Amino acid sequence: MRESRAGWLIRRAVLTVLGLFWLIPVYLLLVNAFRPSTGYEAGKIWVPDTHFGLFDNFREAWNSAGLGPSIASTVLYSVAAPAIGVLLGAMAGFAIVVLRLRAGFWWFMLLFGGTIFPTQMLLIPLFLGYSSTDLYDRRGGMILVYTAISVPLAAFVLRNFFTGVAYAIYEAARVDGASVWRIFWRIYLPLALPALAAVFVLSFNFIWNDLIFGLTLSQTDTVRPVMTALSSLSSAYAGTTVPVTLAAGLVMSLPTVAVFLGTQRLFARGLALGQF
Amino acid sequence: MSLPTAVPLPGRRSARRKGTWAGLGFVSPGALLVGLLLYAPFVYTVVLSFTKYDGLTDPQWVGLDNFRRFFDDPALGTSVRNTLFWVVGTTVVPVGLGLLVALLSYRIRGGTLFRLPFMLPYALSGAGTGVIWMFLLQNGGAANDLLGSNLHFLQDAPYNTIAMIVAWTWQQTGVNTLFFMVGLQSIPAEPLEAASLDGATGWKLFRHITWPLLAPLTTVAVGLALVASLKTFDIVWVMTQGGPGRNSETLAVTMYRETFVTGRYGYGSSVALMLTLVTGAVTLAYLRRQTSTRKELG
Repeated sequence: MRESRAGWLIRRAVLTVLGLFWLIPVYLLLVNAFRPSTGYEAGKIWVPDTHFGLFDNFREAWNSAGLGPSIASTVLYSVAAPAIGVLLGAMAGFAIVVLRLRAGFWWFMLLFGGTIFPTQMLLIPLFLGYSSTDLYDRRGGMILVYTAISVPLAAFVLRNFFTGVAYAIYEAARVDGASVWRIFWRIYLPLALPALAAVFVLSFNFIWNDLIFGLTLSQTDTVRPVMTALSSLSSAYAGTTVPVTLAAGLVMSLPTVAVFLGTQRLFARGLALGQF
Repeated sequence: MSLPTAVPLPGRRSARRKGTWAGLGFVSPGALLVGLLLYAPFVYTVVLSFTKYDGLTDPQWVGLDNFRRFFDDPALGTSVRNTLFWVVGTTVVPVGLGLLVALLSYRIRGGTLFRLPFMLPYALSGAGTGVIWMFLLQNGGAANDLLGSNLHFLQDAPYNTIAMIVAWTWQQTGVNTLFFMVGLQSIPAEPLEAASLDGATGWKLFRHITWPLLAPLTTVAVGLALVASLKTFDIVWVMTQGGPGRNSETLAVTMYRETFVTGRYGYGSSVALMLTLVTGAVTLAYLRRQTSTRKELG
């Protein structure tokens, strides 16, 4: 398929122009997050400042919004909840496919149905329920809800994955006298590592970036996740300067950006293979 | 070593029963968690939408009163209009741009690099995107600089809704690009080659071969964009909180505000329910239209 020279040029020109437009916000973010807080002027946002202020800015954000405990908690939520959720989902998929659970299809529908619930339908009862059971504004409560929303996708993906594993493996292991749990833990789980990793990463990103559950179910700096802290930092009443807010936003976005860039290829390949 | 299926395993019936127990044991933790924290609240919200509840005294049953209030509530009217505007804007533009970028950058050298600017924003959170764009759109900020204007993007309707749609587009184009990249990869090469041998190029090739072959994927992309846009909360909350004066509210924000700011749990529940029904109806209508169109094409 031969392409005209004009076509070749136009293609790349359009892509470049669009790409540059897309990068303008990133450029301005970097320039002004790095700018020292005192050097910020509304009219002069395009030129980088000669002084490096990112660390100071972030430290100020850290202090005024209690970011330290918030970040620690968010790391806990985005690692523990997906890990548990993925495990529970894999167990369910294993039960349905390998253990041939009776009415397995309905169990699957039950679990997969969990993906369709809009968060708006969950917030009020969760808030009321958490308040009355002393789960409100508690790390355990946050982990609980984040795990619950990780399970449906994990169950879906792992169930699909396990259908591709030869049943003979299970049979042979049973004949060898292995217990069901051991077969799951030692054989099926390691086999499913790519699928587990993919779901883990997706859940990690979702939970790290969450705002609404954090806003509704937590309050104090030590429990609320980072995006909730960022949201309150950027509100008009916070009294922080623009560079400080931008620095906070920049640093707190780094984990998901890093994870996303690192796993992008994996996802494209996985999607293409129809695994997920 | 093969396993002769005719050999009866000792204690077959008890083995099967044990199998069921094991199966239940494996599936129940996940099912319990999902049932308790997802299904139960859903049902509760439906019930609550027929009550009047301030969170302190007991809920009072009011039947369809909350739903009747929809028609009298001017703020809700604005919210619905904004949501509609929002939905149209965020399904057409990010999906369309995503498709464009995918097509332009498909299988060219350095394609990954060309796509990188679009991928980066997708990794950001809604809150993060909101923070960045709030900075860009402030009075006398970057947006005004580039446009040579003096608009108050975050305050005047409908500019504030449009501005937020732009911010959302900036973030969401990348995922649609990824989506269409996968779709393009799965298009078989033969029809494309055959058509180009017949002399078809560029636009003709796209319109008659690529576009129809991409149709199922496009349907999914638009469907997903629809659902995501109706649920949008983060970006609106961070950028304008639905204000000023609630003029940029969307339904998801209205639901939050009515419940947790104003303390009307019953009314908030009814807004949530309505949002869910609208999402379901729109998605169903859209899917039905897509599948019936394809039936026409044979």
